[in-house]
Amino acid sequence: MSNTAKKKFSSQSRNRRISLAVTYTILVVMAVIWLIPLVWIFISAFRCEYQPDGTFIGRVTSNFFPRAVGFENFRLLFTEKYYGVDHAFIRWIANTLIISVIDCIISTFLVLSVAYCIAKLKFKLRKAFMNITMILGLFPGFMSMIAIYFLLKSIGLSGNPDHPELSLVGLVLAYSAGAGLGFQIAKGFFDVIPNALVESAKLDGCTNFKVFWKIILPLAKPIIIYQALMSFTGPWMDFIFAKVIIGADNAKYWTVSVGLYSMLFGTHPDTNLFTQFAAGCVIVAIPIVTLFMFLQKYYVEGVTAGAVKG
Amino acid sequence: MKKFIALLLVLIMTAAVFASCGGSGGDKNIRVWVGEESVEFYQTVCDEYIAAHPDFGYTVEVKGMDTGAVAGTISTDPKAAADIYTVAHDNIGKLASTQCAKPIGDESLIAQVLADNPESFQNVIYSTLNGQKYLYGVPYISQALFLYYNKALVTDEQAKTFEGLREAAVAAGTKAITVTGDDGFNMSFALLATKVSDHSTTVKIYEGAESVSGGSKGASNCQGDDTVAIYRWLQEYAADENGFKWASPDGWDADLDKSNKGVLAVIGGAWHYNTAKAALGETNLGIALIPTFTLTEKSVEGLSSVSAGDVYRGGTFADCKCFMINANSSKDKYAAEQELIKFMSSKEIQNRSYLACLNVPAYVGASSFIEQCYNEGKVTESQYNLAAMQVSMAEWGIPQPFITGTLNSYYYSKNAPQVLRAIVDKTAYPTTGDTILSETESLEGIRKALYLIEYLWMHGTTPKDFPASLPTPA
Amino acid sequence: MGTDSKRGKKAGRSNPFRKLGNAFSEFGKRFTDGSVGTKLSHFIFGAGSIYHGQIIKGIIFFLIQAGILAVMILCPSINGTPYGWKALVNLSLTNVSEGGVFDPATGEMTVGSDCKLMILFGFVTIALIFIYFIVWNLNIASSYKADNDKKVGKKPTTFREDLKELLDGKFHVLMLTPTCIAATVFTVLPTVFMIALAFTTYNQEDMHKLGTNLFGWNGLQNFAAVFTGEGSLGFEIKNRFLPVLGWTFIWAIFATLTCYFGGIILALLINKKGLKGKKIFRTLFILTIAVPQFISLLAVRNLLGEYGPINSLLQSIGWIQEPIGFLGLKAGDSEILAKVMVIVVNMWVGIPYTMLMTSGILMNIPSDLYEAARVDGTSTVKMFFKITLPYVIFITTPYLISSFVGNINSFNTIYLLTGGGPTYTGYQAGGTDLLVTWLYKVTIDKGMYNTGAVIGIFTFIITATITLITYRRSKAYNEEDTFQ
Repeated sequence: MSNTAKKKFSSQSRNRRISLAVTYTILVVMAVIWLIPLVWIFISAFRCEYQPDGTFIGRVTSNFFPRAVGFENFRLLFTEKYYGVDHAFIRWIANTLIISVIDCIISTFLVLSVAYCIAKLKFKLRKAFMNITMILGLFPGFMSMIAIYFLLKSIGLSGNPDHPELSLVGLVLAYSAGAGLGFQIAKGFFDVIPNALVESAKLDGCTNFKVFWKIILPLAKPIIIYQALMSFTGPWMDFIFAKVIIGADNAKYWTVSVGLYSMLFGTHPDTNLFTQFAAGCVIVAIPIVTLFMFLQKYYVEGVTAGAVKG
Repeated sequence: MKKFIALLLVLIMTAAVFASCGGSGGDKNIRVWVGEESVEFYQTVCDEYIAAHPDFGYTVEVKGMDTGAVAGTISTDPKAAADIYTVAHDNIGKLASTQCAKPIGDESLIAQVLADNPESFQNVIYSTLNGQKYLYGVPYISQALFLYYNKALVTDEQAKTFEGLREAAVAAGTKAITVTGDDGFNMSFALLATKVSDHSTTVKIYEGAESVSGGSKGASNCQGDDTVAIYRWLQEYAADENGFKWASPDGWDADLDKSNKGVLAVIGGAWHYNTAKAALGETNLGIALIPTFTLTEKSVEGLSSVSAGDVYRGGTFADCKCFMINANSSKDKYAAEQELIKFMSSKEIQNRSYLACLNVPAYVGASSFIEQCYNEGKVTESQYNLAAMQVSMAEWGIPQPFITGTLNSYYYSKNAPQVLRAIVDKTAYPTTGDTILSETESLEGIRKALYLIEYLWMHGTTPKDFPASLPTPA
Repeated sequence: MGTDSKRGKKAGRSNPFRKLGNAFSEFGKRFTDGSVGTKLSHFIFGAGSIYHGQIIKGIIFFLIQAGILAVMILCPSINGTPYGWKALVNLSLTNVSEGGVFDPATGEMTVGSDCKLMILFGFVTIALIFIYFIVWNLNIASSYKADNDKKVGKKPTTFREDLKELLDGKFHVLMLTPTCIAATVFTVLPTVFMIALAFTTYNQEDMHKLGTNLFGWNGLQNFAAVFTGEGSLGFEIKNRFLPVLGWTFIWAIFATLTCYFGGIILALLINKKGLKGKKIFRTLFILTIAVPQFISLLAVRNLLGEYGPINSLLQSIGWIQEPIGFLGLKAGDSEILAKVMVIVVNMWVGIPYTMLMTSGILMNIPSDLYEAARVDGTSTVKMFFKITLPYVIFITTPYLISSFVGNINSFNTIYLLTGGGPTYTGYQAGGTDLLVTWLYKVTIDKGMYNTGAVIGIFTFIITATITLITYRRSKAYNEEDTFQ
């Protein structure tokens, strides 16, 4: 290697090192900015400050880092009555868990079945079905909320004073009913599976059901997991629809997001519940975040499939 | 495909038909909605009542509802609302006229209501149905604003006047006072201020409340000289760096927190007690009447019927929360419902609800009971003060009107309080509509803004134009 | 291809009429040519099937007919409002009872008609009638098919064979049925219902003012009021529609572009050659996606609050004297600042999505493209603009469109951060309200359903136009069938 070439090489590697250092700096700064709000909620959950006379301070305070830490918020969260309901928080978690598991199963099944039909089967109304779905998707969701409430109410699954627990069934129905119309991402995934695979299976005498069950589904693991993840996490994040369907007076049957949201944003919000709210958020966020972390690969795959296929 | 859609749809429909037919049998349960904070208490007393009266024949289920949202929830779906619900009295007209509420017919209950409640409440709990006047609401909690202040930094003497609070604020390097929100109820202190010497004000926005059958729309009046002068005084006070401050979106309790150097005092109600206590600690929590203020030279400049040195006290809406019966509730329950309301609104239960949930009783003469509780050591000093001050403040306040088809709901929903706010901030009225109030600094500007509130209150919309000369009330 | 496709379209246009004609002659033929069973099927569902020995099928058909007819004739009522023929009459909203008759002695009180349920149940009944005729047609067709099978010497299919066919040739019927039913009940009917409300006076603000719980049809007057500004609907929409629409577009454009390019840049940074800890960085950014938005956005809102850590930090280092109202939560706070802040905070929400999505795409860019450029001595920045960006944009156009439409309907960011504030006196729509948050406030908070419906229809028209224009031109749509 000639002398000049060596020099060029070393200057190049120095450039690269500088640019790497800059990249690291930018990324670290960005990561900090991205994490601050989440860290703030997290440490607020452990804040445990008292007035000199022993009154518990649960408000938002201007000090980012707490003056004292402890598990008081979690203790209160699990033992306090909220909205006159015993062990309200545990109930909310249980309600949400039940709803999200059932919703997850139904929604995933509906999405996959619709996506498979649209992607791999030929039938008369296929194009019409796709167009109608697209048009329906363009109406703002809130438009149908009140009507859904009254429809559910007319079959006793919402606003039913004798059986308030049926609102949970109503909510599952409302969540999963529309799921099949969100088939686009899964369809994008099925589109990529070669048709030859399907054709040859059919030549071997497979029924359409068998093709779906034995060939498509095993290949569709990423998209199944993606859809399941999305429909499972949905009920944990929705604080509006759930309140309308379950009813403002049925605090016992609220989902956890409705409960937590109401703590801070009723008409007479109790600002002193902030740290308990934060503790609740941590408890809600931990399982969801863990799920996301474990299933990250599939999530990315789903998001990418959706992005490219639209 | 069609075949199966059809099949399943029909199955669902038929299931629906059967479900609906099977449901409503003779149900022996009375559902009650109360404020979220008192659910346990009312469930307990109702259970006690049932135990003591085996022939009552019904079970009672008490549930909590957000006090602010309950009227809206009932309007949207009255059939799903509880048999007995509780609302602030200013919703009575709305709920009665839209057939969400059923009149009270029981003579003994009516007699109890009339015997127990002050005249001001009696005026606002009636409404009309087909031209007939009926009692609709049974008061059980009274609500009015008073002052919370930081005893560590404000002396009791200073807490009596806005000027004294300012003095303390200068020493502490904070602002003097805030309100708990900029909604219609909490904004009432300046609009309703009355002259200390004779309790007088030219504001007549409440006139309608005296007439049960709708009141007179023309009676509303907000822009007298005294009100203009009061707002000019408030402008001055708010511009002062140690004066008035609007509540923080973080919550007024954040303002009250000593470490934030926000304010020393807040105008709030009994339902703010726990939050205020958490912000200051019970030992530092002072409770007093809404302070007085003295009009300055500058505030009366150019006004004839007021003079500098006039002393006014901040006013308040003095409301009551009422039990009401759902119009959709079965007639079989009617007698039992009234019996239950009679019990829950009795003096004894109101007293117990004060001890259990700090709900201030609505009946006349509650103050002697409150005093007695304090003397017997059943309540702490601040718990006593809170009720005592609220009762005293009622003298300086007026119930909100609720006349059907007008006024009060619009006062809230059309953001009229923000016009009040604009005056205090000396900003333009921030609308993009036809009416743009260019300024609220001059005398004329303030008068126009007050006219706007009056108009909003009466018509529910902003006026297209201002009249050439604004009428000045005597 | 041009002329061919034009001709094809023309043929397609005349098709429906021909189809209709065919259908009618088909109906006639079935009645005249069919067996006794088929003829009978025109009046009693399932008669043909039973005639051909398909008992179960016949019974199902008959039960459907009996069920629907029972509902139509008996008019069962739910919540005091009937289904059936009465519901069709009620749909006119003229036959309403005022209610309000009260007997103080017994406590009996009549309440007025529930107009919203009248409309809703009217639509449900119309749906039932549609179903009746669909099943009517199916039952005749089934019987006619059995006739023809017999003619050529085949046996009519058994119920078991019909079920088997569902797993194969008619698999799509089996799979799509649940979704079709659910979508009809929970999406189509509610949407139709809400659209209908745009033509009524169902507005609780107005109704309270008039002291009534009844409302009626209003023709196109609501749409006229949008221009004249009459009533609470006209007042709200006339004065606030254009500002809200304008801001919705500005928001959607900025929110889409900032997150898009921010995400690409972040993905480039994370995927930089030689960078260690790629996975850790990616995971950190995914956290904001995983945490429910009502939690993370409320945290941001608290951080930016008047006494929040950010304001107190800025005050303590002396950059500002008074706390800044970042989010327009107080009247008098700057609207522009609030608008800028929601866009900035939205980057915090949206950039990780784009980052995740583009990471994979970036890694798939053919490396020979870069090699060629490097030989030419192109700078890194230039390569980004000449190669990377066009490639990524080309691949992700569908995403750009869908995220634009998504941002038009982005509820959480606005609702949780600013609540639409700063507010405008006299109106529901505040300075940062989007069409969708406005719609929410107007309907759910205020019960102004006709106003909400009108806003919803406008929103639909706008999003539909954008989607149609862009989507129809996009590669994904036109090549849709090539994947088949």
